[in-house]
Amino acid sequence: MGERSDGHLTPRPGAFARAWAKAVSGTSYLPMTQAQLEALLQRLTDRLAEALVAEPFDLRVGHQVGAELVESHIASAEGLGRTIEVAQLRLLRDLGLAGEDVENRLARLLATVATGYARALRACTLDEQESIRRAAMVARAQAERALRDSEARFRHQATHDPLTDLPNRTLFTERLAAAIDTPGRGADRVGVCFLDLDRFKVVNDSLGHQVGDRLLVSVADRLRRALDEHLVARLGGDEFVILVERTACTDDVVKVAEAALAAVGEPALIDGHELTVSASIGIVERPVAGTTPVDLMRAADATLHWAKAAGGARWSLYDADRNRRELARYALSAAIPAALERGEFYLDYQPLTSLCDGTVLGVEALVRWRHPVLGELRPDSFIGLAEETGLIVPLGGWVLAEACREAATWAGPGGAPPFVSVNLAVRQVHRPDLVHEVRAVLDRTGLPPERLQLEVTESTMMSAVEEPVLALRVLADLGVRIAIDDFGTGYCNLAYLRDLPVTELKVAGEFVAGLRAPADDPASRTDERILASLVSLAHALDLTVTAEGVETAGQADRLRAIGCDAAQGWHFGRPAPPPLSWST
Amino acid sequence: MQRPDWAPDTIDIERPSVARMYDYYLGGSHNFAADRAAARAMVDAVPEAPLMAQANRAFLRRAVHFLAEAGIRQFLDIGSGIPTVGNVHEIAQRIDPTSRVVYVDVDPVAVAHSREILSGNDRTAVVQEDLRHPERILAHPDVTGMLDLSQPVAVMIVAVLHFVPDSDRPAEILRTLREALAPGSYLVLSQASDEDRHHTGERAEAEAVYRRTDNPLFIRSRAELISLFDGFELVDPGVGWVPRWRPETPESAEDAEQAVFMGGVGRLGG
Repeated sequence: MGERSDGHLTPRPGAFARAWAKAVSGTSYLPMTQAQLEALLQRLTDRLAEALVAEPFDLRVGHQVGAELVESHIASAEGLGRTIEVAQLRLLRDLGLAGEDVENRLARLLATVATGYARALRACTLDEQESIRRAAMVARAQAERALRDSEARFRHQATHDPLTDLPNRTLFTERLAAAIDTPGRGADRVGVCFLDLDRFKVVNDSLGHQVGDRLLVSVADRLRRALDEHLVARLGGDEFVILVERTACTDDVVKVAEAALAAVGEPALIDGHELTVSASIGIVERPVAGTTPVDLMRAADATLHWAKAAGGARWSLYDADRNRRELARYALSAAIPAALERGEFYLDYQPLTSLCDGTVLGVEALVRWRHPVLGELRPDSFIGLAEETGLIVPLGGWVLAEACREAATWAGPGGAPPFVSVNLAVRQVHRPDLVHEVRAVLDRTGLPPERLQLEVTESTMMSAVEEPVLALRVLADLGVRIAIDDFGTGYCNLAYLRDLPVTELKVAGEFVAGLRAPADDPASRTDERILASLVSLAHALDLTVTAEGVETAGQADRLRAIGCDAAQGWHFGRPAPPPLSWST
Repeated sequence: MQRPDWAPDTIDIERPSVARMYDYYLGGSHNFAADRAAARAMVDAVPEAPLMAQANRAFLRRAVHFLAEAGIRQFLDIGSGIPTVGNVHEIAQRIDPTSRVVYVDVDPVAVAHSREILSGNDRTAVVQEDLRHPERILAHPDVTGMLDLSQPVAVMIVAVLHFVPDSDRPAEILRTLREALAPGSYLVLSQASDEDRHHTGERAEAEAVYRRTDNPLFIRSRAELISLFDGFELVDPGVGWVPRWRPETPESAEDAEQAVFMGGVGRLGG
């Protein structure tokens, strides 16, 4: 690339330089114009001419000219051959030189030009070979690095969550397994915090998924920053998990959980919305010996649900006993469908007795489970779970049908047979086919509608949707009695009493309990006044009142005194099978 | 050639590279045995191949000289190959040392070699990219860092477009480049052509040689080349055999049709 600069131009090239230029043109690529080539060759011609006549004769000039030709890219076998040829034929003639001595010198000079040329060409060839080989090596090294980088990138993609760039479930599981299984770690303890944002769905639903995603990114950043010494992973959705390795005690993980809750609770500005979220955390901390990643994660997940159920914005610590109880409860609820099929459920009835004349007005149906292993189970051990899992719908349906079937057979002790009161769970009331179901049961059993009472809770009525109320109104129009159960402990919204198809209030047992104390006890007086106002309110609205949990004659007397219509409780009769005397 | 972005190039010096074959035609030794074997096969098929390469290289030199004299100080040389002798920056920076040149080539060895040669010249940059992705070339940080596209730029696509098949839409490639250029920019284009050459056997043999490389040959006619200058005003003498493009001496334009390469220079008006 060492082309001579234009500034080096020698005066007009002579005839020999022009002939030389013509001879070497096209022997290889010459990065110069014809004029530049002629100027270069004129300069070399001048040096050769000097050498031919100089004293002493200096052969080094030949070497130098040969090397300079190569450096100037006149660097091919043909270039040398034509140079020798044109010099042999014309140089002496064009320079006007003659004589045996100068011919002799020319022969020796051209020999050294050829030598210098060949040496330079060989050196240049070797250099170029080396440089292209080096370039190939560099390129190969780069390609290998790129391959490694791409593998690392691929590995990163496979082990990280694309949204937040936190480690994903795969990497977390690997690290957790390593923390537990690595030999020599047998004496270690390990902790896991399973974190879930509270009410994240509300953010997504109200502000959109984009804002939801940005909130997740923001939470991820805060967790990463606050807990940089621990592995924080995103499992998906709004679920995060923190691995706390080599813990000394449970408190170590509790501190991490508290730091995580604080980090999540920092307000974040996202798309102009200032969002403050909270989280729930399930904590498990235990020796690595004897546990597995699956156990640990299952325990953390269950514990997270306890924190959620307790209202969120908190951590819960795994409790093996509680977990066992829950598992038992779960097993129990899972057994309900089969138990229904096998007929393990039956009903007891508790009388609702008139406070005026002591007649049994009705009975409340109470479900029992004759469990093949656990024995007789009361509703409080399985109804709550059945409500959570939705199994209350088939179970409640069975209770309704069975209660109606039995009640239809009762003759009653002289006079009208008692009505049967059946509890309806929220889920049952919200089912669109409730009316159809009740009607079908009444048709099938032949029980007159006015002998069926449905007990619903206040919260059922507080629903924002209208359908349940409409359904109850239809049933009330059929003649079915509608009672509000546990009245006074819920919202006590008096407005609905005016509008709803209710026939009776059942006053919660806790007010009645106060009546057991002596009448001059101030607290007892207060409960009595509350009851009295409830009764007068109910009567003003044309509703009857039944007091629950009446256990003594004294309570019964005071209830009668304030005008309460009916009572239920041990004083009047425990839940039991219907008396044989009712059978027809 | 459609690899995912993360899949790196492989370096196989057993496979002939068109960049190193071209170096061989020009008399260089920046080549490996496989390159020389393929280049010799090409010379057997088309004996003038080395002269063609030289003629094309001389066209590049005259074109850069012309552009530098016309005031162009920014050059984007796409398909620059092995930087042997007479590179764009040598010619341009001799006329104005502040001239900036970005070399682009797809061949990783050519790129590595160029980087070595050019290390220390902070008015040049080397980018490994494919002519078929002009938008990536234009957006490359080394291109945007070295060249000011709001000022005229000469885009050199010399002896490379014959490796781009019509299915890769060369006209669209050129349009993408043109739309990124400021008025007063230039396009220098040359490629192998068989205009008026009727040795179909010769063409078939040449194409067979290049099928051994990663870059098969796609010969185009003069009319096709002219259409690729769409949007540019052709500078005299238009598109033709490269030795006839502003020759330095009348005799250097003799036997021009032997050159195989056709080319021209266009200016973006406005």
